[in-house]
Amino acid sequence: MSDLDPVVGVDLGTTNSVVATVQDGIPRVIPGRTGQPLTPSVVAIAKNGKRLVGALAKRQAITNPDGTVFAAKRLIGRRWGSQEVEDARKVLPYALVAGPEGNDVRVELGGRAVSIPEISALVLAELKGDAEAFLGRPVRRAVVTVPAYFNDGQRQATKDAGRIAGLEVLRIVNEPTAAALAYGFGKHVQSKVVVFDLGGGTFDVSVLDIGRSVYDVVAVGGDTYLGGEDFDRRVMDWLTFGFAKEHGGVDLRQDKMALQRVRDAAERAKCELSSTQTAAIHLPFLLGGGEGKGALHLDRQLSREGLEELTKDLVDRCIAVTDRTLKDAGVRPAQVGEVILVGGMTRMPRVQRAVREFFGREPCKGVHPDEVVALGAAIQAHALAAPAKGDDVLLLDVTPQNLGLLVVGGYFQTVIPRNTTVPTAQTHLFTTVRDDQTSVRIAVLQGESERAIENELLGEFVLDGIPPARRGEISIEVTFEISADGIVGVSAKDVATGQRQSITVTATSGLTEEELRRILDEQLDEQLQRKQTTREIEERRQWISRMVNEVEALVPAARDAIERTRFGGDALRKAEAVLARARAAMQARDGDALAAEVEPLERTLALFQGLAAGGRTPGGR
Amino acid sequence: MNSDKFRGFRFAPADLAEDVELELDRRKDVLFAAAHADGWTHWEALGLPWNASVEAARAAYLEKVKVFHPDRYAGRRLGSYRERLERVFRRITEARDVLADEDRRAAYARETAPPEARAQLEARRLEDERRAAERRARLVRQNPIVGRASRVGELVARGKEALAEGRLAQAAADLQLALGLDPRHLDAVRLAPEARRRAAAQRGGRLVDEGAAAEASGRPGAALAAYREALEIDPGNVRAAAGGARAALAAGDVAAARALADAAVRAAPRAAIAHEALGMVLDAQGERKEARRALERALELEPGRASARARLKSLRWSFLG
Repeated sequence: MSDLDPVVGVDLGTTNSVVATVQDGIPRVIPGRTGQPLTPSVVAIAKNGKRLVGALAKRQAITNPDGTVFAAKRLIGRRWGSQEVEDARKVLPYALVAGPEGNDVRVELGGRAVSIPEISALVLAELKGDAEAFLGRPVRRAVVTVPAYFNDGQRQATKDAGRIAGLEVLRIVNEPTAAALAYGFGKHVQSKVVVFDLGGGTFDVSVLDIGRSVYDVVAVGGDTYLGGEDFDRRVMDWLTFGFAKEHGGVDLRQDKMALQRVRDAAERAKCELSSTQTAAIHLPFLLGGGEGKGALHLDRQLSREGLEELTKDLVDRCIAVTDRTLKDAGVRPAQVGEVILVGGMTRMPRVQRAVREFFGREPCKGVHPDEVVALGAAIQAHALAAPAKGDDVLLLDVTPQNLGLLVVGGYFQTVIPRNTTVPTAQTHLFTTVRDDQTSVRIAVLQGESERAIENELLGEFVLDGIPPARRGEISIEVTFEISADGIVGVSAKDVATGQRQSITVTATSGLTEEELRRILDEQLDEQLQRKQTTREIEERRQWISRMVNEVEALVPAARDAIERTRFGGDALRKAEAVLARARAAMQARDGDALAAEVEPLERTLALFQGLAAGGRTPGGR
Repeated sequence: MNSDKFRGFRFAPADLAEDVELELDRRKDVLFAAAHADGWTHWEALGLPWNASVEAARAAYLEKVKVFHPDRYAGRRLGSYRERLERVFRRITEARDVLADEDRRAAYARETAPPEARAQLEARRLEDERRAAERRARLVRQNPIVGRASRVGELVARGKEALAEGRLAQAAADLQLALGLDPRHLDAVRLAPEARRRAAAQRGGRLVDEGAAAEASGRPGAALAAYREALEIDPGNVRAAAGGARAALAAGDVAAARALADAAVRAAPRAAIAHEALGMVLDAQGERKEARRALERALELEPGRASARARLKSLRWSFLG
């Protein structure tokens, strides 16, 4: 069943993404076409208008700061004008603009305002391509992970990204849950497990109760704006302020290219300090010194203690969230059977120490912090694509935030409290507040505050056609549903008339259905084009492959001929180089590179054929 | 077996005949559960007897969930069964939420107790109440005025002994208790305040030492907490106030540090340690001139104070630079 139509699990990360699948019953990570398991979540439009994704995009980020989009996950499903987006605008080198409706965020890229789901879709499509190359079959279905603390808008937007990338998203799974799934795979786990997931941009902590192959999430908590990027930024600030002090107030942040170099160096130093005690940051010629002055260099040392001092409050925040989540779950640290560390940031010794001190135990070392989420997603994808009767895993996840609506006085009335097992539904009765009120506006919100304004507005809709009556006499039944993806649906019914209104909340995802359809249409055109080129490339590849084989067969004869004739000594070396380039081009399925090798191959073949024929006639042939 | 499980239930032929990818037994399970879900008690929803334990509820839920979670049938054609499955899943989850929580389960068990169990529970409750009343009466009987006088004498004697031996906390507790029982006992009236004062001073001294140790080992948070506790016992403890200011500063809370330093100077205007702490805080607040003045005052009061001298020196240098 699963062999006919493969499914994959995707960890769509803030800094890096990973794709995995279950093969012969074993979950495994699919390496990218560059051979790396991690694909940087970076998308760029190069100066020549070419679209780049992954390592290629990341590599040119320094020289192309405003055409390179990274950390898009921090913006996905966010509202324009929200605090998070305002903060992001201050630090991101690429330009953000408001969407056509004025409520979502777009990125100015290659002269076009691109929605965030489209950016994420490019990364997903890249991973899909990697999976297809690896499996040798088309991949159409996937499970995609998101931070547990993502709200409805962010989940919807992620699902949209999947659709744009040509993937049917079977399920949105929470990252820590996926990690627990991978941790428990093939083991007989029967205990309470805490997943501590500090990734590139988000922090999540989940408490699970695992038993009989059922992964029951008891509580989740987190902060969608706390991750490795924040640690990097602390180092960056330290570097830029230090630089300013040293060079009379020069502000590095004015120079995008310099800032990008500082960002890279900060990240590198941070990673290095996980294994060493000091890291040297050396950026020569960082800034031109201006009129008649020499260029400015940056040269500093950062110690591990220094880094820990700079980021102490971030680690403290993680522990505070962990404490609250355990309280929510009604679990004491001592009752926890295992602590799983996920996300690259958990490599930092200070983070590990904080976790060890809080739980009073050594965290689990058995999982790979970068790959475990994708593996878990693959396991869930496998379970959903081919549910067996036996001991398949079953996930029972919860909703991360209170869901409710705006009521009189600007207050927030919770309808489904956080940490409720999904899928779930709740019905509440509401009433009119004015005499002869004929319509009710229902604003659906998600968040932790009692005050409506401080929570995330998921969407609003109007129920009208209510017959005139005294206030309080009309009953309106509002049903809230949360699917297993954590996605919200709301419907309202006037009990007396049976009048019904419903919405699927899409307001913050940023893309209207119409827009989404347009994007998908464009994609289809592109796909057709790509298919065409793929076929051309395949034909060219076969042609090259035949020529390479012929040339290789002639090499011994040619070598004999050359040895005897004393001239053309470098012809063999040149031929080897041509063969190597042709093989690389075949491997990469790069159309342009293949085309470039046709002519040199033809020349080499002609030369070798000449040499072989002119030399001694091989006996017996 | 199956006929037993679904006894008395009539399956609608149209429902059974629906073209879905579910085995017949499973269809029956779902139809039966969906039809009864609303009327079930939480116990029935999980197939448990009344008053089953939290562990039993959890285990039963895990088994039920394997049958009724929609994910078990992902990708199959379910027709009208999907909605039924979801409804049953919600119902058993609701039951689990109550029965797997110790407090909620106990309350629900009382609420849903069958008549004979209810009578038993009620009897037990009454019995408990009767016993409690008896216990109270016994205590009253055993505690007349006569008994009290001898008890006070005992407490005072023990308190005096503890005081003499320097077990100050014990002495303060005994004498205070004696004073509570007999507010006019002469020795208790005289000795209790003294014991209290000395115990507080001792405890304060220990806390200050503790704070200093925490400070020295780079745990400013713990140090601050210890110093604060010492100050609560004795607001005039200058070492605690000055130490607290240092620790708060190290913990990055400049405002608290300032308040503590001010308190230290107020408590002991002639203590060099107080002025030095104030100087450090002022420096952190960027008030260099004031900081210098405070450090100079500290040196004036105690010319041999090397730490204050070093701070003043660095302050002067950086001021010039």
